Amino acid sequence: MHRYPRWPIHLVLVGVSFLMLIPFYWVLKTSVTGENIFAYPPSILPKSPHPFYYVDVWYYIPFARYFANSVAVSMIAVIANVVLNAMAGYALTRDFPAKAFVLLLFLSCMMVPFQATIIPAYLITGRLGLLDSYLGLALPQFSTIVCIFVFKASFDAVPRSLIDAARIDGLAEWRIVWKVMLPLAKGAIATNVILAFIWSWNNFLWPLIVTRSADMQTLPLGLARFLSYQEDTTGALYAFCIMVLAPGILLFLLAQKEFIRGLTSGATKG
Amino acid sequence: MSADEIETPPWRRLLINRFVLVPAAIAMAIVLWNVYVSTHNHGVVAGRVVDAAGQPVSGATVVLWVLNFTTYVEKTSATTDSTGRFVITDNDSHNIRLAAEKPGVGRSPRVPVRLYFRAQDIEVREPLTISGAS
Repeated sequence: MHRYPRWPIHLVLVGVSFLMLIPFYWVLKTSVTGENIFAYPPSILPKSPHPFYYVDVWYYIPFARYFANSVAVSMIAVIANVVLNAMAGYALTRDFPAKAFVLLLFLSCMMVPFQATIIPAYLITGRLGLLDSYLGLALPQFSTIVCIFVFKASFDAVPRSLIDAARIDGLAEWRIVWKVMLPLAKGAIATNVILAFIWSWNNFLWPLIVTRSADMQTLPLGLARFLSYQEDTTGALYAFCIMVLAPGILLFLLAQKEFIRGLTSGATKG
Repeated sequence: MSADEIETPPWRRLLINRFVLVPAAIAMAIVLWNVYVSTHNHGVVAGRVVDAAGQPVSGATVVLWVLNFTTYVEKTSATTDSTGRFVITDNDSHNIRLAAEKPGVGRSPRVPVRLYFRAQDIEVREPLTISGAS
């Protein structure tokens, strides 16, 4: 029961949402007009919009190849994330010696930036013979600590009696994860999928270091290459940005319900 | 599990959901677009050349420039027939320019023509207008 009208807060939220969407709208508008972004006064509505900047991007660089590379790397990263993070998250719900220390170690590792570990990561990838390969491109993103904790929070919300019942029925630990825990953690899976996909999709530094041939480059590298080729590229550059952003936005829109549920699971426990 | 989920057959739940329908719709659009492209990419660029009075110009040379990364280079040319019509058949670019010229009659400005894909068959709507004797 609400003792006060809710429309004012909705009105404010709608207004804030529009403010948040302005940069996206501006990128979209510039991608179909190519107008100078420093023009004053700025035009709110696009004048003579056309899709030809997208055509230019498609043909100026091997966009399809870069796109396929990004998709392949992201798919590997997403699958590895879901599998490995689910196993790690489940392990953290169990009791074992020095569990608090392991949790502390995980949390402290979150503070180490990737740039600090990039040289050992490169050396390990090189020793494994995975440089300039899809597996090597995805390797450092096989597991992320944030996503492990998302799974842990989701698994913590599952009643212990359910796991005990599965164990009495003779299920091995990995089958408990696969058959009992994961079906109850769709929100956490969606969160993992979206985060792993977006992080892998937008990753620039690691592909820059680990790729050697132009054929293995991903879209963020393609964007940098595109900028080095072209000078007057306002429209094409923004079109490229839209083409790079679109898959991530689409994935988020498709799975946003599960994503929000995954982020908030465990938050209201107790 | 809701009552609807219990009553719905598993195959229906697997196939009729947004995670399948949206990618399927996108895949369908891509296939249709590629079919359209493959049936309309013969590199034919056709149009008309007229003089300042709007009369067709026969025997005019129409030159096709294509974008070579940063500059336009001359690719090919064609000659107009008695009705002022020209047809170029070997365009392989998506970003072209056209210009017509006839000695004693004049030349037209270079007209930019943007195509939706390489070698798209196109009929240029606005005729190339020759003016000013060269």
